[in-house]
Amino acid sequence: MRQWYKNLDWATLLIWIALCMCSLTAIYSSTQGEAQQFLLDKVQESFQRQLKWLGISTLGLVIALIIPVKFLLRYLIFLAYITTIGLLIAALLFGTEVKGARSWIHIGGIGFQSAELAKVGSLLMSAHVLANGVRNKNIWQAALITLGILGLPILLIILQNDLGTALVFVGLIPILWLCTGVRLRTVGLLIIPPIAGYLAVVNWKIALGFTVLVGVVAWYSTQNFKWLAAGILVGSMTIGIASFALDSVLQPHQVARIVSFTNPEADEYRYGVGFQVSQSKAAIASGGWVGKGFMEGSQTQGRYISEQSTDFVFSAIGEEWGFLGGILVLLLFLALLLRLITLSKRINHPLGSLIVVGTAGIFLIHVVINLGMVLGMLPVIGIPLPFLSYGGSTLLTNTTLLGLALAVYMKRGELPFHV
Amino acid sequence: MNSNPYNLLIYAVIGLLTILSVRLFDLQVVKVKVLSEIADGNSVRDRRVLPVRGSIYDRDSILLVHNVPTYTITLTPRYFEDSTTGVLGKHLAIPDSMVTSRLKEARQWNKWRPSPAFSNVTFEQYSRILEDSYLLTGVGTQVQQRRDYPTGVNASHALGYLGEITKEELVSSETNPVLNYGQGDLRGQSGIELGYEELLRGIPGKERYWVNVNGLEVKKYGKRLSDRQPRGNHDIYLTLDHRVQALAESLFVNKRGAVVALDPNDGGIIALMSKPDYSLDSLSINRNEYWQSLVNHKEQPLYNRATMNLMPPGSTWKPLMALFGMSHDLVHPEESIYCGGYHPIGRGRIFRCLSAHGNQTVVEAIKNSCNTFFFELARRMNLTDLKKYVTRFGFGIQDSTYRFEQTAGLIPDSAYYNRTRNYWTKTSTMNLGVGQGDMGVTPLQLARYTAALANGGTLYTPHMVAYLSESDTGNKKILPDRTEGVQLDIDPTHLRRVREGMRLVMEQGTGYMAQIPGIPSAGKTGTAQAPGNLTDHSVFIMFAPFEKPEIALAVQCENTGDGSQCAAPIASLLAEQYLKGEVPSSWRAEIRKRRALSATSQSLIPQTK
Repeated sequence: MRQWYKNLDWATLLIWIALCMCSLTAIYSSTQGEAQQFLLDKVQESFQRQLKWLGISTLGLVIALIIPVKFLLRYLIFLAYITTIGLLIAALLFGTEVKGARSWIHIGGIGFQSAELAKVGSLLMSAHVLANGVRNKNIWQAALITLGILGLPILLIILQNDLGTALVFVGLIPILWLCTGVRLRTVGLLIIPPIAGYLAVVNWKIALGFTVLVGVVAWYSTQNFKWLAAGILVGSMTIGIASFALDSVLQPHQVARIVSFTNPEADEYRYGVGFQVSQSKAAIASGGWVGKGFMEGSQTQGRYISEQSTDFVFSAIGEEWGFLGGILVLLLFLALLLRLITLSKRINHPLGSLIVVGTAGIFLIHVVINLGMVLGMLPVIGIPLPFLSYGGSTLLTNTTLLGLALAVYMKRGELPFHV
Repeated sequence: MNSNPYNLLIYAVIGLLTILSVRLFDLQVVKVKVLSEIADGNSVRDRRVLPVRGSIYDRDSILLVHNVPTYTITLTPRYFEDSTTGVLGKHLAIPDSMVTSRLKEARQWNKWRPSPAFSNVTFEQYSRILEDSYLLTGVGTQVQQRRDYPTGVNASHALGYLGEITKEELVSSETNPVLNYGQGDLRGQSGIELGYEELLRGIPGKERYWVNVNGLEVKKYGKRLSDRQPRGNHDIYLTLDHRVQALAESLFVNKRGAVVALDPNDGGIIALMSKPDYSLDSLSINRNEYWQSLVNHKEQPLYNRATMNLMPPGSTWKPLMALFGMSHDLVHPEESIYCGGYHPIGRGRIFRCLSAHGNQTVVEAIKNSCNTFFFELARRMNLTDLKKYVTRFGFGIQDSTYRFEQTAGLIPDSAYYNRTRNYWTKTSTMNLGVGQGDMGVTPLQLARYTAALANGGTLYTPHMVAYLSESDTGNKKILPDRTEGVQLDIDPTHLRRVREGMRLVMEQGTGYMAQIPGIPSAGKTGTAQAPGNLTDHSVFIMFAPFEKPEIALAVQCENTGDGSQCAAPIASLLAEQYLKGEVPSSWRAEIRKRRALSATSQSLIPQTK
């Protein structure tokens, strides 16, 4: 134990610290500057609260690092998953509703967002099941069980009316499957629909072209017309369903929420559903190359973007630190993700490897969906930017995940063969 | 394709983050200009900064008009706490329910903005509220400016008042973006305030600031280049003598009429008074209500009699008629005309004189105010010549360089008689010889003509502004409305006779009781016929000292009798005040004061103050 820290991945830890500093800066600027006097009392305290949560999260990180890895893998996974499901049900029954989602639980004066915390238990349990599948050489069965393992929290979170968070769990499935050894063509069938659906919303011609491309690639790589047909079928079915849903099933206000991001400045959206996105784009763009400077952003200080310290925190960074600041944050995320994937590659233990790569997957989904939304490329889906957005549960969850990943990597030599 | 799934994931991460980076570049570098405009359009606002309106001084640099602060208490409902109600009520000495109701009104307007709730609170209340501001959350103060008149002088028609700009004025001022008027701006409505509006007000500056999503000011824009200081406001130094003006106002109680006093050497207005008048102070403090009461007042206090009121000049016309007669060879300067108490044309019934004066020269005719003499001149004259001649003296025309509301007056010509009469002959115009009948002159025109008689035949444009001083630079400016005089080319021998006659009026004639002790002067009384059964109007013109005149006056007192009764003593007292700086007590001063004060305009509706 004398030189335990030698195996700790300091690079990841440094990236984490850098992201947290960016976060504190952005939250400070968007809640303590000129904007402060017009904010709710609760929001005015965001910076101090985030500081407190950072302390709690650091504690979580340390605990994750020092928990004996055998104990963790043998007992804690089950405990975490059961607690997760319990919390989700408790939130449904006794929780409080915040912004339409009934996912908050209050324990001893501190509020937790159960759907956020659920990520830890769900990832650990899915990784456990898949790792068992690898060992038993029965990946298919394990993959299907994972659907159930993740399906239960997804269902409960949808019942809580928090579709954005549920989406993160859904996105985790193909990543875990792929890394378990499920063939790309199978995983592809899972990935194609969301992409085709997204393109169908943007432009149905591009979506159709994408479907044809998928078919061609499928045929080229497999030399099998079965896969070509499957690809094209899945793609065109998605496009058809999406178009049909937009035209005939969904209510106009729901359609507006989905399609408004394609042109938020349009007259019908500008002061309605498109307001947040068009303001966010304008704020980020007005930052230019180097930004307007700390606490100098007119849009941030004028509170033109709602949720500018939480889900839309990147707009404050973009405006006040400009393209250079934005790229810095993107590079930090790139480094974090690539580092985690590289670490997972080095772990020759399926469960350990899946925990690390799953953590990276969760972060990736958050980053892509959040920034896609803030930059006006995706519909507004309310999920936070990891480590940057204000929010205690999110920070605690993400830091704990990171801590577990680092712990698994650090103690990869001690991982038990049988778990 | 059996690539390592981890590598696939790495490609996916790089690919997705590259897409996001490209998008970021697209927004922040490629589209920066277009989208920055949206951002600035959201949050940048310009605000006008009004210059401080210029002050007005009299000819001795005594402050007549300036600005004083008024204090208003505002409420911001978002921050207002219930505990504040009682404290605020106590400070303002009003019941709590009043505070509550004002708060309710404010909340209906805007929760976040301070809205004016209690205006015109005293300085003591204002400062006590400032002291206790830590107890009074959501209570704010605003300090604004209003016009204030520190001397006792009213001079309401000369100085004029301010009023909120009307919609029509706002529309017409939009053609002048430099002046940049806005809703609720105060603007001169009459007198100096109107005539010199642009110079007094100046050009508003601009202040750029940020607003937040609720439209509330966040902070100043910061970059100084975008701000512009207000400029171009001027202080005005008048030719008005506030003590003469004040004396005129105090002598004119219970009378309708007007006084105009000019400096005969340059046309500067020493006093300009019209009665009934109104209180500029009351208008400044309580504009809307007081203005309503003025508009509906039967005596029309807003009407400027000094420059607008038309009445026949009466016998004050005779000096001009004498000049006209001599210059057109209607009468030789040495010639005498016989007065038997009436002019033969009327057979003693129409063209009557006050008494049978016998043979009268020009000088005697002016001294005695002999009607017969001037009826005869009128009989001999050509109507077109008369009109031409008196127009040169400023009668019957408006002066374009003059910045006050004015009427041209009426000097009839043959076209006028053709238009108004079915049948007219030479006898119809004979009344014009004695300043009666179909003619109308304003007090200002009379004073201007008197000044020309005083200074030896130069006609000046009356003006009230001596010079302007630009507030930020202190540069003195003299405006073109102070013009060079126009030479009237009066034969000096003719003028000498007329002036001699007017001097004798004061020493031996109708002006005898209106002499200034120790200062020889010249004058002419007049009695303008009032229509119907009303008492005649008392008119008087005068200049003094006789040799080197420094003041020329015209006074009209409506319905108070003949010229020596009311107008003459007032004019004389004002001249004495101006020349001596005071009116020393003497029996002559006493008798003039008594006469001036005892005269009352017939059928005057008592003035309400």
